[in-house]
Amino acid sequence: MRVIRWLGASAVLALSVGLATGEARAQFTCPVKGGDLVFGQEAKVNSLDQHASSTISTRNIAMHIYESLMTRSEDNDPIPELAESVSTSDDGKVHTFELRQGITFHNGKPMTSKDVVASFERYKKVGIERVILNNVESWEAPDPHTFVIRMKVAQPTFLEDLSSFSVPIVITPAENTEAPPLKMEPIGTGPFQFVEFVADSHVKLKRFEGYKPNTAFKDRTGFGGYKVACLDTVTFRIVTEPGARVAGLETGELHAVEDVPQASVKRLKENKAITIVPYENFWIHIATPNFAKPPTDNPLVRRAIQIALDMEEIMEAATDGAYNLNFGFQTKNRKVYSDKGKEFFNVKDPAKAKELLKQAGYKGEELVLLTNKDYTSMYNAALVMAEQLKAIGMNVRLEVQDWPATIATRDKSHDAWNYHFTGWGTNQALGYLAVFKFLAKPKPIYNFKNPEDTDPVFDAAYNDMISKPTVEERYEAFARVQYRVMENGLALPFGWLTKNQAVRSNVKNFVPFRIPRMYNVWMEK
Amino acid sequence: MLRYVAHRLLASIPVLFLVTLISFSLMQLVPGDPAILIAGLQATPAEVERIRHQLGLDQPFHVQLFSWYAHLLRGELGTSLLLGRDVLEVILERLPVSFSIALYALFLTVLVGLLAGIVAALRQNTLIDQLVMTVALIGVSLPNFWLALMLIVLFAVQLGWLPSGGYVDFRQDLWGWLRATTLPAVSLAMLQMGLLARITRSTMLEVLRQDYIRTARAKGLPQRLVVGKHALKNVMIPVVTVLGIVLSLLLSGSVVIETIFSIPGIGSLLGSSILRRDYPVIQAGLLFVATMLLLLNLLVDLVYAWLDPRIRYGRGE
Repeated sequence: MRVIRWLGASAVLALSVGLATGEARAQFTCPVKGGDLVFGQEAKVNSLDQHASSTISTRNIAMHIYESLMTRSEDNDPIPELAESVSTSDDGKVHTFELRQGITFHNGKPMTSKDVVASFERYKKVGIERVILNNVESWEAPDPHTFVIRMKVAQPTFLEDLSSFSVPIVITPAENTEAPPLKMEPIGTGPFQFVEFVADSHVKLKRFEGYKPNTAFKDRTGFGGYKVACLDTVTFRIVTEPGARVAGLETGELHAVEDVPQASVKRLKENKAITIVPYENFWIHIATPNFAKPPTDNPLVRRAIQIALDMEEIMEAATDGAYNLNFGFQTKNRKVYSDKGKEFFNVKDPAKAKELLKQAGYKGEELVLLTNKDYTSMYNAALVMAEQLKAIGMNVRLEVQDWPATIATRDKSHDAWNYHFTGWGTNQALGYLAVFKFLAKPKPIYNFKNPEDTDPVFDAAYNDMISKPTVEERYEAFARVQYRVMENGLALPFGWLTKNQAVRSNVKNFVPFRIPRMYNVWMEK
Repeated sequence: MLRYVAHRLLASIPVLFLVTLISFSLMQLVPGDPAILIAGLQATPAEVERIRHQLGLDQPFHVQLFSWYAHLLRGELGTSLLLGRDVLEVILERLPVSFSIALYALFLTVLVGLLAGIVAALRQNTLIDQLVMTVALIGVSLPNFWLALMLIVLFAVQLGWLPSGGYVDFRQDLWGWLRATTLPAVSLAMLQMGLLARITRSTMLEVLRQDYIRTARAKGLPQRLVVGKHALKNVMIPVVTVLGIVLSLLLSGSVVIETIFSIPGIGSLLGSSILRRDYPVIQAGLLFVATMLLLLNLLVDLVYAWLDPRIRYGRGE
């Protein structure tokens, strides 16, 4: 049996620093305690039911209220949160979680394995990503502090899936788990507890005085680690208009905001009361092809399009300069990073593209770019791409709808579009196992019309990536998948978008991450 | 009069039926599926279908429509697909927000628009007249989203007098409400003020040329009585028509203004529900707006009769 006990990343760091300096690093303490931080959030919240809502806006808030057995570190590695340790049987089919003791819910009730079982049961029924439990045969709670998961077949990547923060399996009291989708009471074990939710206005949280930080760590890391609520309360105010968010930050009514327009960044940088905190690589700006409608059913046409495009021009117009063109479906700081397939990216060779179109027998068939104005960057990217493709003689039309309509058109109207403009954010952040999920069976985004007619080379590499027993083999398979995506034009990445966040200068230790984290953040008076 | 009111109320039923029928049909035609939004992008077609079935979206159009009307007759407006809450409860929660701001904006509109129109008419072809009409023209021409952002920059960011957004319940903090709603109310009222000022001016000029006004002046009545007692009441008939339209526009909420100022009102609810394809909320929201418009029209007609004794509603008229 392999037992994994975690010494948090910061604890390891502290140990090495301690050896060098002769002193151990202490656990995090709040330099200042108190204050009501008001955060300007860009999107509306429909529910705080973290099992049943997949939106970023829900996560922004709910991840302060709830916790899971496992989560991700600052480097995106799986780490325990409510689990003390995880052991996996030699055959890889049984995972045993020892729970941390002394954890209480916001309603004052101690957390036990019964609550974990009930939460898993509910997630299996209503959880948005319940597919991650498909390979689970059963679970049980042999004692109040142990939770056991039995798999149908060994799945080396299961713990990685389980630690996903996309729609996490958060633990809530057993009596709370009968709630229908979207209606679960926001009761968790996190450092902040729910106070009030006024739809389309704000959500208010306050410090949970009974919170027990995870002493396996020294400091916050990712969504886990040693978390402390320094602030008395946090109010997430819904401010969807970017100009109003910036104004609120300038007046001091808002202490932190997300998604600051690039046009305002220069001005805000000159304001000493405000600190800009850019979050790089927020999402991959991307378009996905439709194999069911000519001319994108032809690989040579897809290659011609790929070769013609100038990504710098597209990203500049799309993001107003808030981007980078680093190639790859994972960021360079991750061990899995590979530049396989780079030769197909940002080639900007219109002459060669024209030649390829000729070879492909392209006869002026209409190419429909399906985009939306809800995300201006997607609309702008489509506009520039259309112009670049017209320059090589293609017959391009922009189909502009609102975001939900583009999703419906993409999924149902297979003859109405050739490229769908989107952004891959959460999935790329979750890591290499998740980033290509949209292209994999049973719902390959490039061929919804004939989901069985997929790219066998991609499928084989993808299968290796999610099932090979060693990390090295999976990393190698990831590189092959990435190469195939580019080689066959299964997706058309443009570049990485930087999302600017900003805080008042008295807000300390606010480090941009996938969602804003308010624990271990304090406000100077 | 009562018979007339009853008749008008009964006549509004087919209108509301038509409005709901058209809105229901249009929503079916617009692409977009709340089941996909709820299920998440990675959901399999089977999972999306399961959610569609749970929500009743897999039923034929006429079944969904009749089911909605059947629930409406029982006083049920359904449950929001994405908020998971009773639609009526959600609308009633937003009503005081939009209503209070609408009344505030109406107050500003009447106060400034009426006064400016009267002053301009009394000072016709003077510098004051030209100044008032120029300001009114600017008010009519400015897009309200631009005006709102400029007001935020000036009064919130530069001067720091008023908050840049948010809403405070007037039942809890009246001063806070006044501060929070002044910029949205001014942004909403600016266009209406301009309209009202221009209409008041032209109507007043016409009335001031009437014989009875000349008679009143010949009798030696002071200007305030000529204008206040004899002219104003006659000016009010076209003005009330405009006020009815203004109030209905204000009450139905402004998606743009409520979005800019982060106000959780009816307009913002309708806007976000359309984007999220939350059919029950859209349907109920439009029904509410249509009902308000019909009631306001009725109210305006009743005010006509009060203002002009020659106007009588009833049998044979």
